[in-house]
Amino acid sequence: MQSMESFRQELALIKNQINQKNFKPAFIELCRIATVDADFAVQHRFAKLFASIPSEALELKPIRIGIVPTGTLDNFIGILRFYLARAGLIAEIFVAEFNTLHQTILTPDGPLYTFNPQIIWLCTNYRDISCEILPNTNEEEIARAIQSEVDRFIDLWLALQANCTAIIVQNNADLPSERIFGNFEASIPWSRQNFLRQFNLALAHTSLAHHVHLLDLEYLSAQFGKRFWHDAPYWHYSKHAFVADASGLIALQMAALVQASQGMAKKCLVLDLDNTLWGGIIGDDGLEGIQLGHGLAAGEAFMAFQHYLKQLQRRGVILTVCSKNEESNAKIPFLEHSEMVLKLEDIAVFVANWHNKADNIREIADMLEIGLESMVFVDDNPAERQLVRQMLPMVSVVEMPTDPALYVIALDQSGYFETLAFSTEDQNRGQMYQQNAQRKQTRKHFSNVSDFLQDLHMVAKYGDLHGQNRARASQLILKSNQFHLTTTRYSEAQLERMMTNEAYICRYYCLQDRFGDNGLVSVVLLKQEADVLLVDTWVMSCRVLSRGMEEFIHNDMITQARARGCNSLFGTYIATKKNNLVAQLFARLDYQLIEETEGTSRWRLSIEASTPLKSVLIQAKEE
Amino acid sequence: MDNQRIKIMQRLNRVFQEVFDDENLQINEKTNAKDIEEWDSVEHISLVIAIEKEFTIRMNAAEVGKLQNVGGIIDLLIGNQG
Repeated sequence: MQSMESFRQELALIKNQINQKNFKPAFIELCRIATVDADFAVQHRFAKLFASIPSEALELKPIRIGIVPTGTLDNFIGILRFYLARAGLIAEIFVAEFNTLHQTILTPDGPLYTFNPQIIWLCTNYRDISCEILPNTNEEEIARAIQSEVDRFIDLWLALQANCTAIIVQNNADLPSERIFGNFEASIPWSRQNFLRQFNLALAHTSLAHHVHLLDLEYLSAQFGKRFWHDAPYWHYSKHAFVADASGLIALQMAALVQASQGMAKKCLVLDLDNTLWGGIIGDDGLEGIQLGHGLAAGEAFMAFQHYLKQLQRRGVILTVCSKNEESNAKIPFLEHSEMVLKLEDIAVFVANWHNKADNIREIADMLEIGLESMVFVDDNPAERQLVRQMLPMVSVVEMPTDPALYVIALDQSGYFETLAFSTEDQNRGQMYQQNAQRKQTRKHFSNVSDFLQDLHMVAKYGDLHGQNRARASQLILKSNQFHLTTTRYSEAQLERMMTNEAYICRYYCLQDRFGDNGLVSVVLLKQEADVLLVDTWVMSCRVLSRGMEEFIHNDMITQARARGCNSLFGTYIATKKNNLVAQLFARLDYQLIEETEGTSRWRLSIEASTPLKSVLIQAKEE
Repeated sequence: MDNQRIKIMQRLNRVFQEVFDDENLQINEKTNAKDIEEWDSVEHISLVIAIEKEFTIRMNAAEVGKLQNVGGIIDLLIGNQG
């Protein structure tokens, strides 16, 4: 468990913010550092700091919760309030007198009902189930005894429902630590351990039919660790049914449940790609370089995370992608990596560009026609997370651990996708959003791209290679892997020879935009053979992909061909491990495929028949 | 006051400040529940737990309840460490 030491600095800063009345940023930061792994003293501090913030300063939805406990919750309530606020709710809480379960529920004009709660939480524990089974009792009698205990709870639920319309939450039994028969209890139906297990199952079989929602106290106690959860001194001296240190865990879970009951559970995940769905950066490391798949520790961790996400998707959670990448790069692993668990069709909206993520998330929400408050953002980069937290406070942001092996549990324990019901409709709803979004995307995508490109104010400078850019041109040819059709490797000296050779046309292209000068971004080497122009080399920097440069350069090549009286352009694509990106480039530019052998394709473009391709919004300056 | 007591008092003071969310709080040997408004029976338990965490000990809440004041808590803590 993490103690005060780990939090003092951050808590002091938050306290400072509150003193200066910067309530919203203080609260955002408090929610960021809050973790169920912090001990009671820290949770108590979270609660106190939250309590010192005037709730009007935060945009929280009011909720009234009535709690009927069989253990003392005095030190827990403040912590529950904080986690409810973190879930977007400001709670008025009524707590019934300790150990008055029946009296409270069976008094129709009693304080529980006059409080008019929206949620009633029966905060019971294993001690409330009578388990007086003698050794060797037969299965029938055990079943009868269990049913009798379940019936006692059903009676309480019926009484509650006769008196109000509140949503009922019922704890199941947290199995105790001590076992009279030791390990043997696992093998016998009449042991207390198994009696309580069967009781929990019997409760599960009937609760939903009674419109009652179980809080899985057994799971929480196991998750926390029963050896700590059951604290006998604190039970005997002050009737704490669970150790105070578990307060954060229980509070977060209950808050998530309440959130779901109010229709406020999350619907959609926004996922980063690099170092979130795979290790490494696809644009730099390429398909071969990213970590994903069997045999490598990090690769397996990412695969497990994808597998978890896939299951969420199957459940009806909408998956979307928001990545800072060239879209074509971002899609490569989805399309071509053999160990990729998630496929493109699992992703309802796929956004990969260089815009800031807050704007992109707004767009995704728009496209899906869901509120920002339905979204959960997952990104390994703390800076991106902080940007989204600050600009879109209604979007939940998971505080991701640095080790990808811990991604699954971090997301799982966040409690953002709780639900009180599930139907095939829910499953299908996810698909429906997806299809809707895809429709919208094809409509919107085009205008978006050209808006973006127009916004860039691009200017291309180009011409024949000369002495001053020869070095840079050679460098580009030597180091490019992705956008390189023939993977030629020419030194400066070799380039110089070509530049002075009449048969060669050596062209360079530079691109500037609003954000800066990209410098020399592409080199094309054409060789004339009779009335045909061969594309010996075409390299381009990946930084300027899909901005219209491909079309622009293509048009220039046609111009060169015409100037020399050539009737065709011949292109060759030689496949390597890294240049799959351009496998279909010639097709895209309306070349005809002449022949395709293993790893090589040859293409032809008739100059007569060709028309210049539209190159979006690049102003040109020939030099 | 000897060195050990002073050190414990400083740490205890910080615990009190954190539990009662008051960075200006200054306790002394005589401080008791009557001196701090929020120090009721519920916060008493929060305080005990926080002290247990800070000094890595288990205290008997009933024992602590019987103590008259902060001085008594320090005695208990010293007793535990000795």
